[in-house]
Amino acid sequence: MAASIAKFLRPWSPGVLPARWTRYNPYYLEPEPSKEVYRIPVTELTDEQKAAQELKAVRPIKAAPPGLTSSVFSDPTVSKFVNMMMEDGDKVLARSIITQTFESMKRKQVEKYHKAPATEKEGIECNPYTIFHQALENCKPIIGLISIQKGGKYYQVPTPLTDSRRRFLAMKWLITECRDNKHRRTHMYEKLSQELLAAFMNEGNVIKRKHDMHKMAEANRAFAHYRWW
Amino acid sequence: MDLTVQCSCPRLQTGVEPGSSRTGPGSGGTRVTGGSEPAHATWPLPLRQRREGRFAGLDNGNLPTETETGTERQRDRGGSVLGTSTRLTRTQRADMALKRLNRIVQLSHTVSLTRPLHGSGCGLQLGAATQTEAPMESPRAVFRTSESEPASHGEQHIGQFYTIPPSQVKTIFPHGLPYRFQQQIKTFNEACLMVRKPALELIGYLKKADPAHPSVRYVLYGERGTGKSLSLCHTLHHCSLQDWLILHVPDAHLWVKNCKELMASSYHRARFDQPIEASVWLKNFRVTNERFLKEIKTSQKYIWSKREFTDEGRPLGEIVDQGVTRVKNASDAVGVVLKELKAQARPGSYRLVVSVDGVNALWGRTTLRKEDRSLIDPSELTLVHNLRKMMKNDWCGGAVIATVTQTGSVFTPSSAYLPQELLGKEGFDFLDPFLPVLVPAYSEKEFESSYQYYRDRRWIQHHTVDSLKSTLCVSLAPPAGHTEEGKKELLFLSNRNPAALERLCAFL
Repeated sequence: MAASIAKFLRPWSPGVLPARWTRYNPYYLEPEPSKEVYRIPVTELTDEQKAAQELKAVRPIKAAPPGLTSSVFSDPTVSKFVNMMMEDGDKVLARSIITQTFESMKRKQVEKYHKAPATEKEGIECNPYTIFHQALENCKPIIGLISIQKGGKYYQVPTPLTDSRRRFLAMKWLITECRDNKHRRTHMYEKLSQELLAAFMNEGNVIKRKHDMHKMAEANRAFAHYRWW
Repeated sequence: MDLTVQCSCPRLQTGVEPGSSRTGPGSGGTRVTGGSEPAHATWPLPLRQRREGRFAGLDNGNLPTETETGTERQRDRGGSVLGTSTRLTRTQRADMALKRLNRIVQLSHTVSLTRPLHGSGCGLQLGAATQTEAPMESPRAVFRTSESEPASHGEQHIGQFYTIPPSQVKTIFPHGLPYRFQQQIKTFNEACLMVRKPALELIGYLKKADPAHPSVRYVLYGERGTGKSLSLCHTLHHCSLQDWLILHVPDAHLWVKNCKELMASSYHRARFDQPIEASVWLKNFRVTNERFLKEIKTSQKYIWSKREFTDEGRPLGEIVDQGVTRVKNASDAVGVVLKELKAQARPGSYRLVVSVDGVNALWGRTTLRKEDRSLIDPSELTLVHNLRKMMKNDWCGGAVIATVTQTGSVFTPSSAYLPQELLGKEGFDFLDPFLPVLVPAYSEKEFESSYQYYRDRRWIQHHTVDSLKSTLCVSLAPPAGHTEEGKKELLFLSNRNPAALERLCAFL
């Protein structure tokens, strides 16, 4: 019996070894990119941290995904957005579009800041990351719709959404709005920067889409009991 | 530097009346109460009083009390302590150092309240002889200087930013500044250039050059993004303020590639004209040198076509207008302008500076093809042919400043940056006795200065806190770009290269 358990506990490697793989044996540990964790002196480690360090000596660790950095400027939300914008695996292009977006947003805001009188300067937000996060927050729907079949017909039933689903919807709407509904000769970074700045102010088409979703959910309130979970 | 400078630099001596002749901020600052020392009315003290004060209360062999040495101890600009015959214990020295530190903190606080951005406002017209930058002012102000005349920039201004007034930017640089710098001017609402050693070197050479000698050729070279074009612009600003005639070609690479309209030259059968580039250049040339174009007269008659001609003795502005209006003749007009300027540049008359950014384009290869799909040599282009004549040193009364760049050049490897590699044999032989000026990446001090400038202009913005907390904690946590970690990372990623730093800070 001990032998059979040990068989499951040994590190399993697939026959063909890819460089990165999303499906790992749960035996594998996550990589730790932040430098602060390694800078804590041994005497100040809590018991949990000590146990984690000891575990790292015996367990294998998953390969770090390409978007994971130990940089102080790395932002997981921005990385997620870059991944969602990426097409055909061209992360270089997606990331460059995002950086150009941030640059163009910052330029507009900083220009406004320097031209504004001293009283209005405090109100102008120049940080593109704050604008991005706030705009995303403004675009996240609170309640979603789900298609449920009952009696041969499909109904749009209002349902609560998880955080990750909300974030996904906000990002998806932003990207599709910029890709589909803007003038084709403008660059993606220009379109994105306009849309993000508008969403930061609670204006624009993506906010409108969120409100439409909320209104539909409100209108279909009667079907809420069709959902059984 | 042992001059006692009467400027706003706050002193450590306590017990001095605030009403004394100090003009800078912080003069009304706090003072540590001393003992029974006399209140000195003037600053710095006359020598006799200083000596008496120092030895007041001193017995032979007894060490002075702490407060007395704290108040009587003076430092002049050179940092030497007058009369160091008194020996102090380690604790006394430490206490004095602590008091100095407190004083600096208090004074920097008052300075930052009054004039946080522009320090050293006190009489900087003296040049390199006196040290006018006060090191104890608010640390943020040290990266700027209020000296806006490049002629008076000296070693002490290296690493500092000086502002070019908007009117001068419009007249001197209608086409001279790099694109990203133009964007930066628009965003920051000001045109600030950093004073760096290569530009100072060039300006020094230009000041000392004898107009009677043949024009010297200076070649700025360096790796990609180190600041060659902006050093050139700094030098041109100086030349313009000294009333020189500026003949600036912003990017010679643009003349040898991507030409939409190429037409055969009417003047010479084997050559090709580029009307659009020539007319654009003439328009910008006119903006910079309005007054010279009225004064300089043509030396011969020029016939443009059967019915159009320009007489001898007409102002050169007419040639320029002819080139701008009749775009067909623009390239020839450029040739005429260059020829006239070169012929009439004499030690007595105007001083001419010919500046070309990317001079290696004149001797490289082009991407332009003739109708039979054979490549055009640069010498077959009218503009290039005429400009090459200007680059010779057979004229007096001016200078030729050039930059060799790989950025924008065609058919050159990206690792090449030396003049020999970029100019090729033909170009190097043509330019041969030239003065090379290396433009290196930022030094430690320049990097620090650039970083402080970007922070001051609200360009580095990145926060470490996540989105939900950012609106609450924005005032509590410092942005990651402002922390030491962030700065170290910027230093590492950019390798102190100016262009790399600018591009990194653009999205952070």
